[in-house]
Amino acid sequence: MKRTLIFQDTEQIEHSIDLLAVAEKMYGEESFESYAFVTDSIDSSGNSVGPLSGFFQKIIHVGRQVVEPNDQIGICAVLAQLQKEYQFDSILVPATPFGRMVAPRLAKRLHTGIVADITDIRRQNGSVEIIRPAYSGRLMAAIVSRGSGPVMMSVRPGVFKYTGRGGVETELSEYTTPPETRSSLKTLEVKKKQIFYDIRESKVLISGGGGVLRGFSGLQRLADALHGRVAASRKIVDKGIAPRSIQVGQSGRTVSPRLYIALGINGAIQHVEGMKNIESIISVNTNRNAPICSLSDIVVEGDAMEFVDKLTDRIEAFRSEAHAEQGAQQ
Amino acid sequence: MNIICVVKIVPDVDSFAYDYEHNTLIRENIRMILNPDDACALACALKVKARRSDCSIEVLSMGPESVRPHMEDLLRLDTDRGTIISDPVYRGSDTYVTSRILTRYLSTRSFDVLFTGSHALDGDTSHVPAQLGEELGLDQMSGITSVDLEHFDTRRAVFDVEYESSVVTWEMALPGILSLDRESGYKLPYVKYEDFQKDVSGKVTVVGNRELGFAPEEVGSRGSLTEVVRTYTQSFETRERNIVQNDEEGIEAVFNFLLEKGLLVK
Amino acid sequence: MNSETILEEVRKLLTPEQVNTDRETLYDASADRYKKYAKARGVLDVPMPLAIVYPNSTEEVSRLLQFCNENRINVIPRAGKTATEGGLENWKEQTLVIDALNLNKIIKIDPYNMQATVQAGVALQELEEELRKEGCTTGHSPQSKPVAKLGGLVATRSIGQLSTLYGGIEDMVVGLECVFPDGHISRIKNVSRRAGGPDIRHIAIGNEGTLCYITEVTVKCFRFYPENNRFYGYLVKDVESGIKVLREVMVNGFRPSVARTYSEEDAAQHFYHFHKNKCVLLFMAEGPEGIVDATCRAIEAAAEKFKDGIIEQVDSKYIEDWFNNLNWSQQDIDDEYEGMKEHDSHAGFTTEISADWETIPKIYNSVINRVREEYPRAHDLTMLGGHSSHSYINGTNMYFVYNYDIHCAPEDEMRVYHHPLQKLIVEETLKFGGSMCHHHGIGKFRSEWTKDEHGSAYYMLEKLKEAFDPNGIMNFGTIFPQEEGRKYLT
Repeated sequence: MKRTLIFQDTEQIEHSIDLLAVAEKMYGEESFESYAFVTDSIDSSGNSVGPLSGFFQKIIHVGRQVVEPNDQIGICAVLAQLQKEYQFDSILVPATPFGRMVAPRLAKRLHTGIVADITDIRRQNGSVEIIRPAYSGRLMAAIVSRGSGPVMMSVRPGVFKYTGRGGVETELSEYTTPPETRSSLKTLEVKKKQIFYDIRESKVLISGGGGVLRGFSGLQRLADALHGRVAASRKIVDKGIAPRSIQVGQSGRTVSPRLYIALGINGAIQHVEGMKNIESIISVNTNRNAPICSLSDIVVEGDAMEFVDKLTDRIEAFRSEAHAEQGAQQ
Repeated sequence: MNIICVVKIVPDVDSFAYDYEHNTLIRENIRMILNPDDACALACALKVKARRSDCSIEVLSMGPESVRPHMEDLLRLDTDRGTIISDPVYRGSDTYVTSRILTRYLSTRSFDVLFTGSHALDGDTSHVPAQLGEELGLDQMSGITSVDLEHFDTRRAVFDVEYESSVVTWEMALPGILSLDRESGYKLPYVKYEDFQKDVSGKVTVVGNRELGFAPEEVGSRGSLTEVVRTYTQSFETRERNIVQNDEEGIEAVFNFLLEKGLLVK
Repeated sequence: MNSETILEEVRKLLTPEQVNTDRETLYDASADRYKKYAKARGVLDVPMPLAIVYPNSTEEVSRLLQFCNENRINVIPRAGKTATEGGLENWKEQTLVIDALNLNKIIKIDPYNMQATVQAGVALQELEEELRKEGCTTGHSPQSKPVAKLGGLVATRSIGQLSTLYGGIEDMVVGLECVFPDGHISRIKNVSRRAGGPDIRHIAIGNEGTLCYITEVTVKCFRFYPENNRFYGYLVKDVESGIKVLREVMVNGFRPSVARTYSEEDAAQHFYHFHKNKCVLLFMAEGPEGIVDATCRAIEAAAEKFKDGIIEQVDSKYIEDWFNNLNWSQQDIDDEYEGMKEHDSHAGFTTEISADWETIPKIYNSVINRVREEYPRAHDLTMLGGHSSHSYINGTNMYFVYNYDIHCAPEDEMRVYHHPLQKLIVEETLKFGGSMCHHHGIGKFRSEWTKDEHGSAYYMLEKLKEAFDPNGIMNFGTIFPQEEGRKYLT
């Protein structure tokens, strides 16, 4: 039986569960023991173990009195100690900012290889291939881990979805040995970010061009439905309909969202220059030969504003369905 | 104060061409540039230096000898020396081995702080700064968006890191490793016109395995603990381009696509 | 005369409203698109003109020139403001820019005789729109059409994107009116053809404001048949293969309106959605139906004859879409300007040269090699390529296009990047016997090679300058090399 340790998702603890899907892809369903490693939450807003209960065979918790939750060096030491005890076959770390600092450090300490920010796992001729994008997503690399230590990787958030329903009997264990080495890092101040609207930071962009000159403000509805932001091509900005700060392109911003919906955008090279490493592109255009269409995963031939209304309605219907379902379960 | 900037010359991924016949990216003859995050790191180091009279900056880069012109461009700024770690036996080193090689060199130098970038355009593993931290027993922080130049001395550094919903100000005891993010906006100064042709070759040292003394099986692809077994493209140009109409069927296709891609969070 | 007095006098000569001394406008008038980046960054190294003046009539132009001539005040004639080679850059402390803003009347549209007469400050787009109402076109369509004005187009020997059919502006001008530094007004009459001594239109056409000020022009018009437009596109192995097909079509006596070959690098900029890293060859045929049919057959036959060099034909829809989105507008120019303030790069530069059919590929290959081998900042180039876009029975042009990341101070950009590249291109072109200036004019930044360009015929140019502008007040530094201006070169 393989053993996998999943490090907590430091941003959203319940997302840690999704990493079970990675282990499943490596070992097959139910052929591994799952461990979760959980600290006190950084902002001390209560117990973070709860949501994981029922998904992991064992949850190892370490309290603030033993190690500060943001102490990379201390946590690394604790994890190394756990590895000695449990001899995990793999350690999976969500690629959150903290996870991406702890994981390589731990790999070094354990003298094992590590793969960063992975997006897929494939089993090929009996070995596990770890898939990750390189060169800003232009190239995908299949990587195998050769060391004798545990297989280590950091996992891109939001890519894997665990579909298991839980119901596992979870054993809770408290780790109490303070680490010998600690970080000197101290938090001096935490400022909540003002809601600063930077299209470069959005994972979903609903972008409008000449084809939506009239009705540009209507894009917000779709952006809300997809938890994204509205962006614009130069044509829109030139007309004074949108501020320059949301312009995509050579003379505007360069964006790399996961999803880019191009509404009524022709796709001159100056615009496309600002679209880098975008996972999925959907374009809506009355001209199916518009340059942007050849970059798209899906081309919707037709009026962009009409599309916005229809798709928003569809998503909203889906959400209320899902909501009703949840209500029924409770 | 001694600063070492660890930088990488990377292929400019935007200049990649696509070979349609063989379905691969053409990686020969492509333009090399200073990794953008690393440029911010050096720019920030130069700002630190500008405020102190006792400060020296060494630029350190591992790569093929061909990075020399790029290194020389950096030495036409207010930097003091450049070191290129280069040896054919290091080719194919993964991050584990790379951080080991860099550490062996760094342990021969005395420094108060290392500046690096957070992400690299090519591999983008962000492993090396953290692994240098582990090897050297130092703190390391990625994603730094601003450094408090007022409170920067040989004992400590104060800096900001931007997260999704907050900005956190940290203090780190030095020596330590500060990894800058390109969002910091620190910009390298321009090389002065008179300095463009300046001969700075005397400031460059090339360090090879003769100096560092690894056994060949410890380094390069042989010594690496991860191996890239194949690469393939998920290219910009070869999207499926599934054309649908703006009707119920088309909307359903888009909807299902979003669902599959995990873009519809309930 | 001191600058204050000059301004006072000019205000008296015209009205105060016709004299603009707004600082920002003067800064903008100090340089043209040659120094667009330095201008956007606020680091221009040249003096500002004293004023921009807007005469309302030919007579006012005459009085202004006479005044400047008597007082040795430099004059920069201007209309449209889309110059790219420094023709509108100012190198003198005392300069007046005479802008054709108010010379904005369309004087006569004459569809029966197929000619139109306009003042110098009429925008080409405006004239085109008027002609369209009559079912006609100017046939002149440079990328700058929405901005450029007739006076500027004629003064710089402009060429349009449809020149392979309609010719350059010099083939279109029937007659014109111009004013010389001594105030003399010359009118060249509008006739279909004559043998009345040398064709003196060519003293004004292309003078770049160094001999006279053009106030009025009459151009030909052509029947407009947009419904007959047809397009062809091919991916070809290399530039040479594309040029072979262009030549075949041309020497067989056909005149497509657009006939172009793009290098792979340049094709990537315009046709990224279908070029597949290959060179692109494209044609557009326009005109009366029978002629279009014949031209299309000739294009197909030429493509067939040289099919070894052709990889595949592309959907003509792509070419048509490209053609319909070709021109840049004032908005594009403003937008590029804003972009340059933020980014250490811009939309790139060009140098356009011409030569006969057998020489063009030699120049192209030689330039590309030299840049790769000799240019010290080659590692900053983000693109280097070119296209041939204007063909003639005996040859064609080559439009070198290059772009780079700027790693020097904005004020050093030209001497670190553009100028050395342009120098390489010019040197190679002249060495092989081509012309260094196919259609952007010489301006100020190619004037160091004017004598090499013209050789023994420079004598004729020089005499013209001596005769018409003995005091050297007309656009100092443009076309005619000036020792004093060298400090602004590199």
